[in-house]
Amino acid sequence: MQSFLNQSIKAVIRDYPEVGQILDEFEIGCAPCSVGDCLLKDIVEIHNLSPEDERLLMARIAGVISPGEKIELPAVERKKPAGPKELKYSPPVKKLVEEHKLIKRCLALIPRLLEYLDLQSEADRELVLGAVDFIRNYADRFHHAKEEDILFKYFDENLDILKVMHQEHETGRAHVRAVLAGVEERDSGVVREHLDAYRELLKEHIKKEDEILYPWMDRSFSTSQVGELYSRFGEVDRQFGEAPQKYGAFIQGLEERFCGGRIAG
Amino acid sequence: MTFQGCPGSKTFDFRGEATAEESPGEKIKSQLKQWPVQLHLVSPTAPYYQGADVLLAADCVAYALGDFHQQYLKGKAVAIACPKLDEGQEVYLEKIKAMCEEAKINTLTVLIMQVPCCMGLLKLAQEAVRQSSRKVPLKYAVVSLQGEILEEEWA
Repeated sequence: MQSFLNQSIKAVIRDYPEVGQILDEFEIGCAPCSVGDCLLKDIVEIHNLSPEDERLLMARIAGVISPGEKIELPAVERKKPAGPKELKYSPPVKKLVEEHKLIKRCLALIPRLLEYLDLQSEADRELVLGAVDFIRNYADRFHHAKEEDILFKYFDENLDILKVMHQEHETGRAHVRAVLAGVEERDSGVVREHLDAYRELLKEHIKKEDEILYPWMDRSFSTSQVGELYSRFGEVDRQFGEAPQKYGAFIQGLEERFCGGRIAG
Repeated sequence: MTFQGCPGSKTFDFRGEATAEESPGEKIKSQLKQWPVQLHLVSPTAPYYQGADVLLAADCVAYALGDFHQQYLKGKAVAIACPKLDEGQEVYLEKIKAMCEEAKINTLTVLIMQVPCCMGLLKLAQEAVRQSSRKVPLKYAVVSLQGEILEEEWA
């Protein structure tokens, strides 16, 4: 069993598909992950299950991997003890979660935006370019830069979960480049495909960060590191000046135009 | 008969409770790196507050919390106060504001006892940070009468 803890989750699920279902039951959604390099032991630690749930999960996985064998269940190392399930973030991480809310409001608008898209119309092209401007400048330069240039640097860059996050940021950027090319070519199919793929990707990405990555990171930070992060995020906020408010107003304007008000976040 | 007075003044006797064994001969080092410590006596712009992680502890905390020095005081600048008995608490508010704005402290951790009146110290700290033009992360922990941490959260 110990050796399985050091295997990538994708390999474990490939050899023992039932493990994917068991993880699902514990709200650990590794089965549909596109990368799946994370080690089984890291997944158990990162999800911060209660000791009882962790024992139950490990026993069930052991039952699949080594059925009928009496085995000693390994304890997974934790940085800090599992706390209550309610998500409470440190002030700097809370800032990122708040930024996610505006990004999610943008994602919720994409289906409406695509519904009547006509790239022959200049107004529609401007609309898509406005959404791309939000994604590039708010979601990416403002928000993802805080993550990549500051937050993630507090951790070992070789951690699988961080590689997955970086990779998803890159995939998102590739979708945005494809959307821009689609607008240039007046190709509605390409714009639809990549804007929708971006929406799906970011929706899951944000969920992973809010519910798993950020709480795990918060458990790892010292009080002093939290203060340092807060101050460094504050510097980024100052550099961007009024831009976040401008993008907030942009999303609100779209919501009023398409839906008569706010629809998500 | 039910006790009807202030919960902070209610008498408890813990002498019969088990106490943790100390390792013989091991002297515990103080983690205090400054003087004074009382909030009326400290200058909020003293060098030890500059950019520091500051611990604002209610007076009784250090007596109740067995591992106060290692667990909370280590690496921090400190100030102590009693929200129930101290006078001139408007001065406290201004001093905490000055710590945020002028000393540019990194974080503020407020340690209070579980008795209801102690919550006043957290409220005072929250108000000072709210009024400050420079925000800092504020954390609080509540200590039980027998030195357990009942709650610890970012405010």
